[in-house]
Amino acid sequence: MATQDRINGKDLINIGIYAAIFCVVMTAIAMLGFIPIMMPMLAVLCPLIGGIPMMLFYTKVKKFGMITIMGIIIGLFLMITGMGYWPAILGIVFGILADLIAKSGAYASAKKSILSYATMCLLIFGNYIPLYTNITEYFSTRQSFGEEYIATLTAVMQPWTAPVILVACFVFGALGAIIGQKLMKKHFEKAGIA
Amino acid sequence: MANSVLMIEGKRSGLVLDPRTKLLLLLTMAVFGLGGAGSDAVNAVLPFILLVPYPLLLLAGKWKWALFGVVAYVGSDLLMHYVGPLLTGLPSFLLLGSCAILNRFLPSILMAAYLMTTTTVSEFTAAMQRMHVTEKITIPLSVMFRFFPTVADEAASINCAMRMRDIRFGGRNMAKTVEYRMVPLMTCCVKIGEELSAAALTRGLGGVVERTNICRIGLKAQDIIVMALCAVPWVLLIIDLINGAFQGGLL
Amino acid sequence: MIEIDHVSFRHSKADGPSLRDVSLTIADGECVLLCGASGSGKTTLTRVINGLIPHYYEGDMSGSVRVNGLDVTGAELYETARMVGSVFQNPRSQFFCVDSTSELAFACENMGINEDEIAERVDEAARDMGIEDLLGRSLFALSGGEKQKIACGSVSALHPDVFVLDEPSSNLDLASIEDLRELLKKWKACGKTLIIAEHRLYWLRDVCDRVICMKDGRVGFDMPMDHFASFSEEEYRAFGLRSINALTLFVPKERNGVQEGSRRMVLRGFRHSYGNVEALDIDRLELPAGEVIAVVGPNGAGKSTFAKCLCGQQRRSKATIEVDGELRKRRQLAKSSYMVMQDVNHQLFCEAVDEEVRLGADVTEEEVAEVLGALDLLPLAKRHPMSLSGGQKQRVAVASALLSGKDLLVFDEPTSGMDFQNMELTASLLSSLCGKASVFVITHDPDLVRRCCTSVLHLEAGHVKTVIGGR
Repeated sequence: MATQDRINGKDLINIGIYAAIFCVVMTAIAMLGFIPIMMPMLAVLCPLIGGIPMMLFYTKVKKFGMITIMGIIIGLFLMITGMGYWPAILGIVFGILADLIAKSGAYASAKKSILSYATMCLLIFGNYIPLYTNITEYFSTRQSFGEEYIATLTAVMQPWTAPVILVACFVFGALGAIIGQKLMKKHFEKAGIA
Repeated sequence: MANSVLMIEGKRSGLVLDPRTKLLLLLTMAVFGLGGAGSDAVNAVLPFILLVPYPLLLLAGKWKWALFGVVAYVGSDLLMHYVGPLLTGLPSFLLLGSCAILNRFLPSILMAAYLMTTTTVSEFTAAMQRMHVTEKITIPLSVMFRFFPTVADEAASINCAMRMRDIRFGGRNMAKTVEYRMVPLMTCCVKIGEELSAAALTRGLGGVVERTNICRIGLKAQDIIVMALCAVPWVLLIIDLINGAFQGGLL
Repeated sequence: MIEIDHVSFRHSKADGPSLRDVSLTIADGECVLLCGASGSGKTTLTRVINGLIPHYYEGDMSGSVRVNGLDVTGAELYETARMVGSVFQNPRSQFFCVDSTSELAFACENMGINEDEIAERVDEAARDMGIEDLLGRSLFALSGGEKQKIACGSVSALHPDVFVLDEPSSNLDLASIEDLRELLKKWKACGKTLIIAEHRLYWLRDVCDRVICMKDGRVGFDMPMDHFASFSEEEYRAFGLRSINALTLFVPKERNGVQEGSRRMVLRGFRHSYGNVEALDIDRLELPAGEVIAVVGPNGAGKSTFAKCLCGQQRRSKATIEVDGELRKRRQLAKSSYMVMQDVNHQLFCEAVDEEVRLGADVTEEEVAEVLGALDLLPLAKRHPMSLSGGQKQRVAVASALLSGKDLLVFDEPTSGMDFQNMELTASLLSSLCGKASVFVITHDPDLVRRCCTSVLHLEAGHVKTVIGGR
């Protein structure tokens, strides 16, 4: 069939289903860390547990574009739920990158899948960007807070934590992917869904 | 009550806005409120932008959300002012950090709550289609919204099954807990997903013709007014940028 | 006209073929009942007609299928969709939208039909199907029967000539099956071609005029309904079919002189409301203990809430059960009871059967071996539970319940979608539990009740309507 390479209805539905599972997992974890200071945990747990549905999704991916769309959808979801526009932008960027990485392994290489998923996890960093940009300016509009407070706050939001979170997303993404692949062998292949 | 992130049934009262207007509002809030774009001129109107969700929530009859916003805002302020100075070291950091993050995200989250509690899934999809977003995005998005309640249902059933078997783990056995939850969840969701795909495809999803949409949405007077309000910070931002470029050029 | 010409098919992951050289012609306006045991190829046959094979389910296919001249095997699914409408088994998984109106319009939207015409078609479909009151509702809030009507309406709005239904009654209660029957008769009266794959046959007797029975991927027999309806009970059984003269009344198993046990249990305070809606209100109820009790009644009668109370899973429930002089409250009920869910996949966690049944139970090797042996699971002890058949999974769930010392088992529609033979196996499984545990079976299946339940508890609108047997 000539339409073999085109993304079809079946692929689009698959993206939606796995995106839903991933987003539910993400929301459930966000609920655990409802205390905002737990937010850094998002960068650890989301990539880690999200690796399970995502590795299953990767077994369904055969065409370029599917992982890109997945990144965009997750980014859009985060934006709709109030996490700002950065996740949407990073979703596109890292979605395409992740797609290219997986494509270089012909969508069949286990190692490339790990690398690809870890790259996609970087979009989670989009949630944190507002905490680092213009923080003093933002709070300068709230004069009531006072200088001292802003000073403490800038101390809390140390810029060096940004790369740490970014690296955490990637490393735990890779770990999550490895766990996902383990569970695939242990369960999903035997259950006939992989 | 099934939770699909967006609404399912179209019951609402009060001011009704087009989903596109709400998306513009959300974006505006994200860019200026959460993103902190623009300089002095925008910052001058920023407090007003941050207040936008409150009247909207009230006009849509979502007073519980508005109340939540006020309580969270005032609460975190009070905590910072009165409890903050009493603490030192790590607890102080934690408190300030938590309150700051809450403060920062609150307006944006309220705006998102407004969008989510006043828009149905079909309206949202219709809006995406009107904005000429490709079907490669709209179809997965609608499947995702359709699938949220299903995933939640399945997870609840699995939880129930685990309780009946008395499978409970302490913190040490995190890995097992996750495995025991995720494995049946994935299996069930994937099976339902396959059936959903089959049913959708036999009803012609993924054809070459452009889909139509029966959900009637349209821009009304109130949408134009709200959009005009949204335009204010954008215009200020553009003026800022032009000014910046102009000065940069002069220097 | 549907022409199936020398079609064979083997799923890419399956060992053997599921269709072997099938040739059939179905004329316009014919209503065909497709029957046969599980795995006989009837579902596969529906899938080659609606094009899901080879376009969705991949495998090796040979032969050709034409519907009104359209080559279904070659055409894309969205082309076939105009000609063939499909309704599936599981009402929960076959809707794409979240509200009923969008769902009815869904197929038409996919075809790019203009909005005004779709609105007309939706109204028309709703009128024809008698589902106007369901418009604009959340699909998640509808009952299985209502969802199935929406599924039919959605397909109908596209005006296909052929309707293919794959076990549409599996998850329905008796009243919903009646509604579905009326709906099919309307399609038939409009001259549509109907192909219905089913295990439950009785409700199709005056709908279908031709019966095709599949056996091992081939057409076992193909005869007019009149002839099929005159079979003897033994003949149905020989083909592994349920009888077309099945009872639609819930009659308990005859005791055949077996003395009723003297153990009784007393249920008290089975009450629950969701918001202002009272779902269940049973003050006191006495039932035999250690036997198999059917819980029947229409959708919304309170069966699920009853089951949740039994298992101690209903929050704030004050329900108690007194057995052998011992009073069990919610906490004790949660400890001593177990529900085998309709989708057993929810309750299988481990990677091998023996590991699964030992999970959360403190038992010796001998006990495990004994229970597994009694349930015919010993040869499967090392298999992954998810790789088993539906009936085997049920037995694994039962084994794990017995080993964790549960003596109150609740089965939620254990035979929905099961063929005759599997239904009988489940019936004998349930019967074998007599004396070991008190068993409640929520079911819509009169055949099952007659085979293994010693009493029938009939619920209606949250109250006990009747208790048959067990006196």
